[in-house]
Amino acid sequence: MNVVLVGLSHHTAPVAIRERYVVAESALSGLNEKLVRGSDIDEAALISTCNRTEVLAVSRSPERALEHLLDFLRYELGDGSASVAHVYELRDADAVAHLLRVAASLDSMVLGEAQILGQVKAAYRAGVQGRSVGPILNRLFQSAFRAAKRVRSETGLGASPVSLASIGVQLACELFESLAGKKVLLLGSGAMAESALRGLQEAGAESVAVLSRTPESALRLARRFAGRSAGLDALDEELSAAAVVLCSLQVERPLLGRAQLEGPMRRRQGRPLLIVDLGVPRNVEPSVNTLKDVYLYDLDDLERVAERGRAQRGAALEAALAILASERDRFEAWRAQLPLVPTIRKLVQYANELARSEARRAASGATGSEASPEVLERMAERIVAKLLHQPLRRLRAETELAGGLYYADAARRLFGLELEDDEE
Amino acid sequence: MTHLTYELAALLYLAAGTLGALARTRPRAAGGMVGLLALGAGLHAVGFIGLHRQTPPVSLESFPAALSLIAWLIVVAYLLCLRMFPIRSVGVWVGAAAGLVTLAADAALRWLSPAAAGPHSGGTWSHAHVLLSAGGFSLLALASLAGLAYLAKERQLKHKRWPRLGLPSLEGLDRFEHLSLSLGFPLLTLGVISGFVWGADRGVSPWTGHSLWLLGAWAVYLLPVGLRVVRRQHGHLPARGVVLGFALLAFSYVGIRLLGAVA
Repeated sequence: MNVVLVGLSHHTAPVAIRERYVVAESALSGLNEKLVRGSDIDEAALISTCNRTEVLAVSRSPERALEHLLDFLRYELGDGSASVAHVYELRDADAVAHLLRVAASLDSMVLGEAQILGQVKAAYRAGVQGRSVGPILNRLFQSAFRAAKRVRSETGLGASPVSLASIGVQLACELFESLAGKKVLLLGSGAMAESALRGLQEAGAESVAVLSRTPESALRLARRFAGRSAGLDALDEELSAAAVVLCSLQVERPLLGRAQLEGPMRRRQGRPLLIVDLGVPRNVEPSVNTLKDVYLYDLDDLERVAERGRAQRGAALEAALAILASERDRFEAWRAQLPLVPTIRKLVQYANELARSEARRAASGATGSEASPEVLERMAERIVAKLLHQPLRRLRAETELAGGLYYADAARRLFGLELEDDEE
Repeated sequence: MTHLTYELAALLYLAAGTLGALARTRPRAAGGMVGLLALGAGLHAVGFIGLHRQTPPVSLESFPAALSLIAWLIVVAYLLCLRMFPIRSVGVWVGAAAGLVTLAADAALRWLSPAAAGPHSGGTWSHAHVLLSAGGFSLLALASLAGLAYLAKERQLKHKRWPRLGLPSLEGLDRFEHLSLSLGFPLLTLGVISGFVWGADRGVSPWTGHSLWLLGAWAVYLLPVGLRVVRRQHGHLPARGVVLGFALLAFSYVGIRLLGAVA
């Protein structure tokens, strides 16, 4: 059984490509089911976040599985716009190591962030729901969750992540002397946007306006940040007053373009406006950055900022990588034993059946409620004789052939006879 | 002795500029930069006293002395503004500009005939013209440095290369530019007026090449001043205006003279 993975992420594909491959969480389970139905794939799980879309699978024929997964990713999950250069294919230990890195947030744009673990857990749940997660992926996901937990608790990565909040504040400080008294406008909701908003508030931003399609969710969020809420029809007015705009709406095409911003920008009289687009698909047309005094940063741009933070966290990163390596080795050791599982299962079943049958036989020959020691002794002897009968017969037969010594050596090792000889 | 003092001051300014460049990666160098600029300004002031005491004394109205005064005022104004604005990184440009201008002034002083450098008889109006114009020029030089820094920073941020130059925030640069322009433009205006009065006193035609270019530069400054004061505009437009205005102003002071010397 081979573990294979096909995917694209912020490391390989720009947001313009990634946004075409986003899969809604509600669709994951159905797609997982479709993946394992009538193909060379035995187990599968889809992971889709704003920064990555990946298909993880288990198959007996990895070449065919990779081919199938590649087609599935490019044409079922997206529109085929991802080229070969945007997609990566990983096998076995590499695929395992990759999932561990992803879950532990070592492959994330924001190193050490906690959201990705929740997203990987959601992918696992969708796989379980779609009955596409079997024993191997189940074990792999458990290893990934354990690795992520260890990285968070045993290294400093989780304690002070290079967060979106800190990146947002860093960017804002390049534009503004101080965030005191500045207005922040949040379009939509979402964990990333809320984290960035929290960071800006902690850095001094005073006024928060939340605009959303649904007034209830805007109001809920606005209350949490002591701000005010409004519908998207107030966008024009709010854009004239805001210093920072955080966009995190679920949209099919950009909500903000040059045309919407030209009016508010005239009213701003040259005061700079920072727009952080956290949406995938993007909420803001890239051409907005060509407007004077507008500074647009999307997820790809934030990735470049985060890269600097990542370089400064060498020691914690090394410790985290060591943890991942140990978890990967543990999983690989377990996977290496997989071919033995049916044999072991049959052997245990055979021995149990034999023991039960001998126990029944002993019970039927016993008088009273308890068997005498003689009866139990005979039962044990019979079990041993029956258990050893076949192996000994085979050993004798093989001794006459070239492989006899090999079998004898195997028997000594299996029963630990070597050790006893040494002790003698 | 005066020349040595000027040259030392110029070298200190240039060294401060170099330290300022190093401060991008070594923050402690920024403190050294400020110290060297202050030391250079101190030596520069000693140089002024030397000029005044030498025989025959060099008048402030002479072009090299005025140039040197402008360099000194740029440094002093920058050091004073450091308390109000986070503009340490602009010190690289201030050091470089002040060092080069001081060296140029020193070289011009060496070649200047005593008659040209000697005392002029303009009286109060000439002194007022030189001091007001030099004050205005130095503040507008700082405004143009802030404007240039603003445009450079804007470019960095637009192209997502923002950490490299280590410049202050756009808002900080904008505020600094606004203050320098608000103080520098009235001083320049008074300098222009006093210059015309001084010329009229001496019966000199007011329409020389220098005065025409100076008027042109002054008129160009009306654009950023108008944008700032009337429309309360911030950002790249006033920044472009102050850079363009200063280019014309510098040409009216230095370029015209250089062209005259070549002709």
